[in-house]
Amino acid sequence: MPRVTSNNSDDEAQLYCEKSEWQDITPIPQYDGINPIAPIFYTPEYKDATEYFRAIVKADEVSERVLQLTYDIISMNPAHYSAWQYRYRTLVALKHPLDVELELMDAFAIKFLKTYQVWHHRRLLLTALRSSAPSPLSIASKELAFIIRALSTDTKNYHTWSYRQWLLAFFDDEELWEGELPYVERLLETDVRNNSAWHHRYFVVWGRVRAEGEIDVGDVLKREIAYTKDQIALAPNNPSAWNYLRGILEHTKTPFNSLRTFVELYSTQTAPGEEDIVDLDNPKPGPGAQLPCAPALEFLADIHEEMGGEQTKKAIEIWKSLGNEYDTMRKKYWEFRVKEALSV
Amino acid sequence: MSSDPLDNDKSSLPRFARSAHASHCNRCLSGLPSTQVEADTSRLAVGFYCLGVMDMLGLLESKINETERERWRDWVWNQQSSGTYGTGFRPGPYMTGQDSLCWSDVTQPGDEYSEYDTPHLIMTYTALLSLAILRDDFKRLEKKGILKFLRSCQRSDGSFSSLPNGGDSDLRQVYCAFAISSILDDWSGIDVDSAVKYIQRCENYEGGYGQSPGGEALGGTTYCALASLHLAPVPSSSSSPSRTPLFSPHISTKHRSRTIRWLLQNQTPSGGFCGRTNKVADACYCFWSGASLHILGASGLVDNRALATFLSTCQFKFGGIAKAPEERPDPYHTYMAIAALAIYPPEDADESWTLPEMNALWNTTDETAQWIRDHIHNK
Repeated sequence: MPRVTSNNSDDEAQLYCEKSEWQDITPIPQYDGINPIAPIFYTPEYKDATEYFRAIVKADEVSERVLQLTYDIISMNPAHYSAWQYRYRTLVALKHPLDVELELMDAFAIKFLKTYQVWHHRRLLLTALRSSAPSPLSIASKELAFIIRALSTDTKNYHTWSYRQWLLAFFDDEELWEGELPYVERLLETDVRNNSAWHHRYFVVWGRVRAEGEIDVGDVLKREIAYTKDQIALAPNNPSAWNYLRGILEHTKTPFNSLRTFVELYSTQTAPGEEDIVDLDNPKPGPGAQLPCAPALEFLADIHEEMGGEQTKKAIEIWKSLGNEYDTMRKKYWEFRVKEALSV
Repeated sequence: MSSDPLDNDKSSLPRFARSAHASHCNRCLSGLPSTQVEADTSRLAVGFYCLGVMDMLGLLESKINETERERWRDWVWNQQSSGTYGTGFRPGPYMTGQDSLCWSDVTQPGDEYSEYDTPHLIMTYTALLSLAILRDDFKRLEKKGILKFLRSCQRSDGSFSSLPNGGDSDLRQVYCAFAISSILDDWSGIDVDSAVKYIQRCENYEGGYGQSPGGEALGGTTYCALASLHLAPVPSSSSSPSRTPLFSPHISTKHRSRTIRWLLQNQTPSGGFCGRTNKVADACYCFWSGASLHILGASGLVDNRALATFLSTCQFKFGGIAKAPEERPDPYHTYMAIAALAIYPPEDADESWTLPEMNALWNTTDETAQWIRDHIHNK
């Protein structure tokens, strides 16, 4: 089967209306209407290619040359979802090898990382390949490696992460899942504030559907708390890490109070001195840390509120200090928390 | 890094360049350069942002004459199309040939569109709002057809896809289906219960909602989730008070508190909101997060002044508002920034900052929302 090329130099300068092999087609110009809203001043190349595309759709043509035409259109406008739709339909009808299409789209996906259609197309391809390819798992595994390449150009790209998560859940195979935590840890080593990586950690550790008894939740929680504490020690004012910590405690219905010793280390004015006993379960903030840190104060106040009774007063004191000193942007919020606590 | 917004004395807020912002949008309405070709498949949305800016600035009638508005209404209606999947609006005429019977060879009898030119759910929402902004009488509205179209777009997991035969499906489309149902005042086109369950599955450990289940919490889709849950009809078994912007029976008190916390955490030291934890502020998230807080009844907790300070720095010197300072403006960010300012007017600012009341659930002015009620609901 001839492979579709994207850079046939003979064709490059030519418009479709100049190509001999397209002479059988009568192009259909666009009718924009009277007084159109936001008309686009199309380039001659785009105008030409889309005129042929309308004609192809009208003729219901399914052929190899449609692949070239749709490729050209989406190269000029990757958001042209009709061209993507028609391309996919043509690939399927021609029984075109979909793994070849996937590879053809690699550079394209990285170039147009922020375009939804790029990832949607890959989803369709992977869905079809799972039921038709001789070894779908190796394709999925290769795809995970490709996504790592794509993410390396933009480590927080939403579409790319969504696609990775979809792929993992769709194939749901231990072989694919097992590389995820090490990958997340590599990303967090580079940037501990990468919330997409923290989120992916949550997705992998807590979002994966497991059979009962497959894992020991207590062990996993212990490991995750230890990991997160270490990351907080590195960067105490990192809301991604604190949100993760809160998330896993809530998910496992573990009281916030169980982390009191750790949180107190970050809620005081001064870092604990070197002479203090080293407590591996509760890593201390580094020497340059800005203390107290607001997320720790908030956490400590939540512990006090959780305990209730006399401790509510301590929570109120902390909220006041957040509003007046440590987190003045949210002054109104901390005042609101005080009011709420007093009204109970 | 800008100075601490709290230190700004009140006179420091520059004037809001209303006229320049309107001109930016007016220019876009009359034409987009070829570099904006990606808008080809979302022109109605671009139109909505531009018209929305003019509406909020109260300049639609003075800047654009009635003849032009009439032609624009006609143009939007020309995008309404009926067929196998029901009726809705296409993004624009990018598949419309000069031969008006272009599709007769490949469509079923009576169909006005092919499989590659179907109506689009998000565009249908923006078309209805645009027509209301243009004060259309909605006599050409195919209500039954639109309800059928909504049915064609809903999937078995409760979500909706942009197109009846494919396309993306996530909270954005759910929101559009809910907004359209409430604009039509008819919920018979969608299965509300399964859609609500889908929305709830999108809530994430941080307190925000991801674009789809399992996704990272994101400001834009959090707005879609919250607005949908507040637009949804209240189940008759519920003993709740009537629907208000402060209450939805689909959100528990605990979840509500967690969402408010996360949203407020995203107001960055610049004064603007970021869309995700640890990202930089962006003008559009000032609306998505700000409107979300408003819907949850927590708008009193936002630092208005800091928000306006940030947005004032996103104003481009030749008009329009960009996503961040020093970036190029576009109609989307211009609209979202103005909508955010309408919800969060800075105290003691001069009259250039005065904007009309917003309907945060539909994302339009109160006056346009009232026009919808008068011209669609009571027909």
